[in-house]
Amino acid sequence: MAMFIFRRLFQTIPVIIGVTFVVFFIMQLVPGDPAVILAGEGASKETIEALREQLGLNQPLIIQYFDYITSLLKGDFGTSLKSSQPVLDEILVRLPITMELAFVSILITIFLGMAAGIIAAIKPYSLQDIGVMLIALLGISLPSFWLGLMLMYFFSVKLQILPVAGWDSPLHIILPAITLGVGGAAIVARMTRSSMLEVIGQDYIRTARAKGIKETIIIFKHALRNALIPVITVVGLQFGALLGGTVLVESIFAINGLGRMIVDAIRMRDLPMVQGGVLVASLIFVIVNLLVDIFYRLFNKRIDLN
Amino acid sequence: MAEKEIPILEVKGLKTYFTTKKGTSKPVDGIDFVLNKGETLGIVGESGCGKSMTSLSILRLIPSPSGKIAGGSILFKGKDLVKLPESEMRKVRGNDISMIFQEPMTSLNPVIPVGEQIAEAIRLHQNLGKKAAWEKSVEMLRLVGIPSPEKRAKQEPFQLSGGMRQRVMIAMALACSPEILIADEPTTALDVTIQAQILEIIKNLQKQLGMGVIMITHDLGVVAETCDQVVVMYAGNIVEHTSSKELFANPKHPYTQGLLASLPNITEDVEELRTIEGTIPSPYNLPKGCRFSSRCPHSKDICSERNPELFEVSDDTKVRCWIYSDNWNNQSKREEECLNEKHS
Repeated sequence: MAMFIFRRLFQTIPVIIGVTFVVFFIMQLVPGDPAVILAGEGASKETIEALREQLGLNQPLIIQYFDYITSLLKGDFGTSLKSSQPVLDEILVRLPITMELAFVSILITIFLGMAAGIIAAIKPYSLQDIGVMLIALLGISLPSFWLGLMLMYFFSVKLQILPVAGWDSPLHIILPAITLGVGGAAIVARMTRSSMLEVIGQDYIRTARAKGIKETIIIFKHALRNALIPVITVVGLQFGALLGGTVLVESIFAINGLGRMIVDAIRMRDLPMVQGGVLVASLIFVIVNLLVDIFYRLFNKRIDLN
Repeated sequence: MAEKEIPILEVKGLKTYFTTKKGTSKPVDGIDFVLNKGETLGIVGESGCGKSMTSLSILRLIPSPSGKIAGGSILFKGKDLVKLPESEMRKVRGNDISMIFQEPMTSLNPVIPVGEQIAEAIRLHQNLGKKAAWEKSVEMLRLVGIPSPEKRAKQEPFQLSGGMRQRVMIAMALACSPEILIADEPTTALDVTIQAQILEIIKNLQKQLGMGVIMITHDLGVVAETCDQVVVMYAGNIVEHTSSKELFANPKHPYTQGLLASLPNITEDVEELRTIEGTIPSPYNLPKGCRFSSRCPHSKDICSERNPELFEVSDDTKVRCWIYSDNWNNQSKREEECLNEKHS
């Protein structure tokens, strides 16, 4: 197992290099010259040129990229063009908020989704199955910005039981986490259902029944462990979608997380900030996928990297 | 043959039907047999004749909701399993009656160590603690001839060969010393050398534990080797019920005769193996008369009109064929007369 984790860790290195490459070059495609923006409106040509020289923007792209990588290795994510503060400092303030939101949301995705999927799979094509799957279809179809606003309107404005926006108490986390987690939960529910149905039809489930084992134990011990393997993949992918979703949800609920930071930075053309934010979000996704693979291995020892 | 006492299993008029969009299928349509303690009953027939469904019906493991036991009774030591509530039935499964399935590769849970899969049933039915159940499970693996069972018990099915997995299945089925073992094609998926070993294991354990065995197979060699009495099934019916000796020495039903004739003979040099012409009727659309009549070389009018009952031919032989009815010869005469009349 240790060997497996080590080997899998080793494999993430090229992925991370690839991520920095893509993030760096995509930023070059963004219209607008950072030096012009930084210098402000009405700055002279000389000022802009001097700024270019200072920021290393006159260098060939590939040199700029290597400079970028070497600074990254030193823990230097660049300096914000707007606040002149190190990007990393800003990220470190925002990241915990987003991680907290993402963590609660993914818990909702996993538990709500799996529970719904199991309930549907136990009695396929019954009313309970059709009902649960209809709700899941609704969950997939609802755009999160709309769902967020509706939840806010209903629970905060009408019922006044939950705060409208902000990030001050544990209560603040509820609505944004539901908004973010529901879409994933619906996908996980559908995946769990189909995976469970397939497993329940397998010969080894019949064997378990022939041993006289109770149906609940069959579902949770014999079927679920086998059905979880494809579900874990979906959860991993959903986490990526969820990180993307924070951009929207944090804006709706006025949460000062990483997502909102990126949106603000894009609006202000603060490229180092955008670059840093996107890079960190990508790294989180890489780490989550690493965890998914480790979970895979825990659930199914047949999986080997060889 | 075992001494005649109260049979441990008595199946009477068992009917298992499936209702689907295509209509009602009748894979088991009125089956009767009796199994005594220590005895081995063979159920033979080609694929789709209802032999596996018969065994699944005994354990009430027919795929629901489409399938259900539509009639008859299954008396286990006088107790009707058909009427038992599900919770009581669970106590019978794996404890009093257990089953070995035909696919060792897919019948074990791929993510649970094999020792645990055996120990689970022991804990459930014998009220043993975790450690004691595990030890019993290792002991069972040793009993079925798995080398270094302590190590193997901790492994998962993918780390075991097909023969070993089938041994695990046997160990699992026998862990609670059942009174009846149903072996559904226990050797079909295995090499011939392993087949012999597996049958030997079942036979030895049967002697030790004194259990009744129902051996479901399409392999007549397995029947010859293991069974006391044999039931031949065709399209959901029993067509012949006889002793194993009698089956090979003196097959009565045209279908049984056809089956035996299609066995390759080692002393014969033939280009093509003999077969029975035609195919088994669809279980959705069974003929009104004898289900074998369309393939039977002796078929007459009466055969396609009425399905014969099981005629008692001798003490231990019953055959579902009009040939063994009193009317057969009369009818032959009548048909001859008809023919003569037409000619004249």
